[in-house]
Amino acid sequence: MMRNVHDEARELISLGEALPEEQQARLRAHLQECADCREYEEAAGRMVRGLRSQPLAADSTLVRETQLRVRARALELRQQRERRWLVCLSCLFVGLSAAITTPLLWRGFEWVGAWAGVSKWVWEAGFSYFWIAPALAVSVLLAAHGTHLTNNHNGDRQWR
Amino acid sequence: MNAMESETSAIARGLRRRDPELLDRLIEQYQHRLLRYLISLTGNRELAEDLFQETWIRVLERGHQYDGRHEFSTWLYAVARNLAIDYLRKKKPVSLDLLMEDEEHAPFEPADTRPLAWEQVAQRQQAESVGVTLGGLPAEYREVIGLRFQDELSLEEIAVVTGAPLGTVKSRLYRALNLLMTRLGRTQA
Repeated sequence: MMRNVHDEARELISLGEALPEEQQARLRAHLQECADCREYEEAAGRMVRGLRSQPLAADSTLVRETQLRVRARALELRQQRERRWLVCLSCLFVGLSAAITTPLLWRGFEWVGAWAGVSKWVWEAGFSYFWIAPALAVSVLLAAHGTHLTNNHNGDRQWR
Repeated sequence: MNAMESETSAIARGLRRRDPELLDRLIEQYQHRLLRYLISLTGNRELAEDLFQETWIRVLERGHQYDGRHEFSTWLYAVARNLAIDYLRKKKPVSLDLLMEDEEHAPFEPADTRPLAWEQVAQRQQAESVGVTLGGLPAEYREVIGLRFQDELSLEEIAVVTGAPLGTVKSRLYRALNLLMTRLGRTQA
């Protein structure tokens, strides 16, 4: 279906001042001939001026509150990042110290086992327990801490 | 590198650092434009103010995603739009696009081009009447009209913000302007 020349002109008018030179020339030529489209263009211009003079402003309280919230959240994110760094550093430190001390500890247990005259299986089991015990203790502590926090959250919810 | 590029890349660097001074400045600089855009999307000032705050929190959290290759305002509007859509999806099981789809089904109303009497009324009254009529349009129409004629975004920028093809933006703008003029004509007739 052929597009109506008036519709095309009005569509170009509705795009605002963003037309390529060739389309602008075509539109200008049409407007010189067509009084209806000229009227349309004038009405659109008045309406756009009305739109641009709309008094709509954010109030200063909203801006201040937003700035405060953004700053508080930025601080929270920085603290989270610092905590993550701390955990990563701790893991690195623990890994390194374990790599260094494990062979020494193994030799120590071997020596104590020979001195006490116990079988190889006994001092090896003792070494394994000694090696794993701190991790077990920390896991138990963390699990207990987690439960405690969960209980607190539930408590909070009940109060609300 | 031109002035616009150096400014946008400075903003991108600042957002990656989560620079609070920069964010304060941006919030002040874009306060009116962003709020107006959110009101045009939601049609509700209270909700728009909530989304205004959430938008800046999102800008803080996802600032590293802004690469400085486009205008900051284009990216900011896209962030705000996604938040508004997320909110409306949670609130109602339909998307903003679906809410606004009545554009496709709405009968096309040719604009009333009779000479309007509002040359005689004051500028403030004109603006008020345009504002009230604009508020009654579908959200998708309010959005393109606001972006094009109030925030003066280019058609390509509007396409980026709305995620719609350029052709759709053009036809939506045409329909929106027609509908607004028709309704204005009716209220002032």
